[in-house]
Amino acid sequence: MMDQDLELMLRVRSGDAESFEVLLRRYRVPLVNFFVRMVRDQALAEDLAQEVFLRVYQARRRYQPEARFTTWLYRIATNLALNAIRDRKPVAAMVQFEDGAKQSDAAHIADERPTAEQLMMESERERMIRRAVEALPEKQCAAVILHKYQNVDYRQISKVLGVSESAVKSLLFRAYESLRARLEPLLKGGQL
Amino acid sequence: MNHEKCMEREHLFAYAHHLLEAAEEREAREHVAQCAACGQVVMEFQKLDAALEEWKPIAPSVWFDARVRAAVASERSAGFPFRLFGWRWAQILAPACLVLLVTVASLMISRRQPSSAPTERAAQSSAAQVEEELTLFKDLPVLEDEDYEMLANFDVLSELPHGEAKVEN
Repeated sequence: MMDQDLELMLRVRSGDAESFEVLLRRYRVPLVNFFVRMVRDQALAEDLAQEVFLRVYQARRRYQPEARFTTWLYRIATNLALNAIRDRKPVAAMVQFEDGAKQSDAAHIADERPTAEQLMMESERERMIRRAVEALPEKQCAAVILHKYQNVDYRQISKVLGVSESAVKSLLFRAYESLRARLEPLLKGGQL
Repeated sequence: MNHEKCMEREHLFAYAHHLLEAAEEREAREHVAQCAACGQVVMEFQKLDAALEEWKPIAPSVWFDARVRAAVASERSAGFPFRLFGWRWAQILAPACLVLLVTVASLMISRRQPSSAPTERAAQSSAAQVEEELTLFKDLPVLEDEDYEMLANFDVLSELPHGEAKVEN
C-alpha cells in the first residue's frame, strides 16, 4: 500500500494545489518544532520551515516516489538546519568570546538564547533538558530530535543523515549516554 | 543472574528504544525479564526517555501558513510561461523562437533597402525638370542697345561717381 503522503505528493506533481495544502497542514507543526529544537530560534525556525515547503513545491515535477515522503522531507530539513547551524557558529563563538565585555555589540547579533517570553513559559526542568540536547554534537542532536520528537524510525534516520543504520544506533546510544550524564541531577530528583 | 552474562548497555539501549530486529528483541525481552541488573539499565533509559518529553512543542506563529502560501504563490507566478508548456517544450520552443526572430528581422531589413525602379523614375523626372528650365532661359528676351542706354541713364546708377566705386576694406 502506498504511503498516503506519497499519494498527496504525486497529486501535487500533477498540479493539485489542495494536496499541497494538506501536506502543509500536516507538517507545519512538526517541521517548525524540528527547526526550533535544531536552531534554537523560532523566527529562524519558521524561515527554514517555509524554505522546506517551498523546496518541496519547486521539486514537485522532479519528484520520484523512491522513499517515504517524510524521509525526503526531513532530509531537506536536516540539511537546511545543519547549514544554518554551521553558518551561525562563528557568530555564536564571537558572542561567547565577547560576552560580558561587549554586551551591546552582541545584542544585535542573532542570539541563540531563548526570548524572555520563552523563558517564562518553560520550566526549569524543561530548560535543563533543552540545554542538554543543545549541547550534543550536531549529528547526535539531529538523530535524537528525529528519533525522539519527530517519530522518525532509525532506518529513515540513516537515509536522512546519510549514514548506516548501525551508525544511527551508535549515534543515538552515545547521545543518550551524554544526556543521562547531564540530566543525572534531574533524574535523581524523581517526579519523572 | 550472573553479571558476566549481562547484555551490553548499547544492546539494552537498542532494546529499550525498539531498535532491534524481531528475533533480537525477543531474546532481549526474555533476558531482561530474568536479569535485574539489565532490567535496571533498561528502566533508566526509559526514565530518561520520559524526561525528554518534558520539552514541549510550540505552535507556529499565526502568520506562518500565510507566509508559506505567499511564497508558493510567488513561485507559481514566476514559473507561469513554462507552466503552460513544461520545461521540455520550453527547451524546444526557445531556439525555434530565436530562429523566427532572426528571420523576421532579416525580412524587415531587406524591405528597407531602396529598389532600382524608383531611382530610374527619379532620374527621368530630374531630366525633364532640367529641360523645362533650359526652355525658359532660351525664351528670355535679349537686351537691345536702347535697353543698355535706359539702364545707364537710370537715376540712381548715374549718381555713382565714375572710377570711385571701390570698396574700402
